[in-house]
Amino acid sequence: MAADEEWVLLAYRLPRVPSTPRSAVWRKLRRLGVAWLGDGLVALPADARTREQLDWIAEEVTDHGGEAMVWLGRPGDVAAASMIAGRMSAAVAAEYDAVATGAAAALSVADPAARRRALLRLRRQLHRVQARDFFPPPQRETAQRAVEDLAAAEHAAGAGA
Amino acid sequence: MRWATRPGVHVDRAACAWLIRRFVDPAAEFIFTADPAAVPADATPFDMRGAALGHHEGRCSFETALAAFDLTADPALEEIGRIVHEADLADERYDAPAAPGLDVLIRGLTLTSGSDHDILTVTDRLFDGLYEHTRRHLLTGRPPA
Repeated sequence: MAADEEWVLLAYRLPRVPSTPRSAVWRKLRRLGVAWLGDGLVALPADARTREQLDWIAEEVTDHGGEAMVWLGRPGDVAAASMIAGRMSAAVAAEYDAVATGAAAALSVADPAARRRALLRLRRQLHRVQARDFFPPPQRETAQRAVEDLAAAEHAAGAGA
Repeated sequence: MRWATRPGVHVDRAACAWLIRRFVDPAAEFIFTADPAAVPADATPFDMRGAALGHHEGRCSFETALAAFDLTADPALEEIGRIVHEADLADERYDAPAAPGLDVLIRGLTLTSGSDHDILTVTDRLFDGLYEHTRRHLLTGRPPA
């Protein structure tokens, strides 16, 4: 996706109390990997999926007595949008780094069952990060390769046993 | 009866349409409109913003519909609800290994189908099979061979 293309924006306001719906919405937005543009204003590059995702969060906000509006728009300031995209990219890059580090560490785990568990956990984590990766950094491939290496080592160990 | 939902159907809408046709209204007629305000007065909206049959309390529209149509006593439908939930929301609330596959298949169908009605023709068959598989699995405790 390109930063100068269309974005979908969610402007929302939820009462501070009770805090449970607020934190539920916050967690969902974090999982989606939104850009936080301001207080109660988030954005994602627009496609059918992200539009629907923000639509349903808007519904959740209004279900809990808040206000929510979903907007579609193009950035008036392309440099600023690129900066936002760069920030999103850096955030997932850090998550990819964590996956790669975890995979490298798991290679030297002696207990085969623990190594296997680590592989399954890292695969899941990799999928989660990929789902919110709109501007892929080079770390994406590094993390993917690290997990594949771990899987290959796991397979070789299984075949040898 | 007429039922309305958004065009470009994906897993949650396809599952709802199947549920409606198989368990609620065999003569259901589906219409597609992007704007909730454009839903005709005689049509029941589903999987749209503002619809009772939508995402509520963390549930996807299919799960909401199961409760609304009083179908929660069928364990196979409940299980399909968990699969559709994960295919649609992927929030890891349920362990549903079939979900990513279902998501991919229906997304692929939307790329190659001529219309939403075409997609529903195929997904109806898909959900018929998923229902039968799930039902037998629950009956015998083993995946049917």
